[in-house]
Amino acid sequence: MGFVVGINIAISLRLTGFAASIPLAPLRKFYPLHWWCVGLIVLSGIGLLLAYPAKALTNPVFYVKLLALTMALLISRYFQNFLAHPDTTAAHNRLIVKLAFLTFLLWIITITAGRFLAYTNSVLLASRFF
Amino acid sequence: MIELLLQFSQTTGIYQFMHSTWGWPVIESLHFIGLCLLFGTVGVFDLRMLGMGKAIPLIELHKLVPIGVAGYLLNVVTGTMFLSSAPDQYLYNPAVQSKFLFMLLAGINMLLFYATTAAATRATPAHASAPTRARFIAAVSLACWCAVIICGRLITYYRPPYHWCTWC
Repeated sequence: MGFVVGINIAISLRLTGFAASIPLAPLRKFYPLHWWCVGLIVLSGIGLLLAYPAKALTNPVFYVKLLALTMALLISRYFQNFLAHPDTTAAHNRLIVKLAFLTFLLWIITITAGRFLAYTNSVLLASRFF
Repeated sequence: MIELLLQFSQTTGIYQFMHSTWGWPVIESLHFIGLCLLFGTVGVFDLRMLGMGKAIPLIELHKLVPIGVAGYLLNVVTGTMFLSSAPDQYLYNPAVQSKFLFMLLAGINMLLFYATTAAATRATPAHASAPTRARFIAAVSLACWCAVIICGRLITYYRPPYHWCTWC
């Protein structure tokens, strides 16, 4: 998770205009590691979900995290395509900056929801329903 | 030591905040955000030193490092809030002790970088490899920060007195 959020923060910082002298195109070289780490997050997430399915699935915070994570990753994919084939029209640049700021917000929601999962669950074991 | 930390957190209001309903998860979230800022800046700089994204001049990527320092300071503040609010759970915890050890190693490694090879590394142009010493330091840095994260996650599983720590 640290690598995924970290790489996204670095690229989004650059896209918002911070350290504008960093060339954009080579930043996409960090995406293969990013997607490998996403795979690791998905695998470990499925493992945790299988261990305590009722704990997560009955908690609305889990769906907030899942939604924010999915949106953040879709934007990552969009940025990856943008870095490979940059469209530098003014309107598109404004969209990219807005998406970069949205990315920060989505990762903050993902992290916060993830931490709050441990404190907001009302059900621990599925056996409660049997 | 425990009494001193508890006195500090109680007189500053940290203890009352941390033991409120949402105090602990809020500060945990900030702690992880700080870590991501560190990883996204120092970690990406380390990866470039190791050869990833070679078309980026190192001197340009180094401009992200102040953001990483801000993340580190955020973690020092939030970490102090954890430690002072439940010192007995942290000071005698082998995972915390290991985490501090790896943080110390990362700190020494960083000092070594700035004392020996930072100037030569920053002068490395695009498409060129960082000096060998810098690559070694980058690998140690990434390994240390990964170990810090792992030890951080293990803290809750080695809380005293339910652990096997033989030296605490």
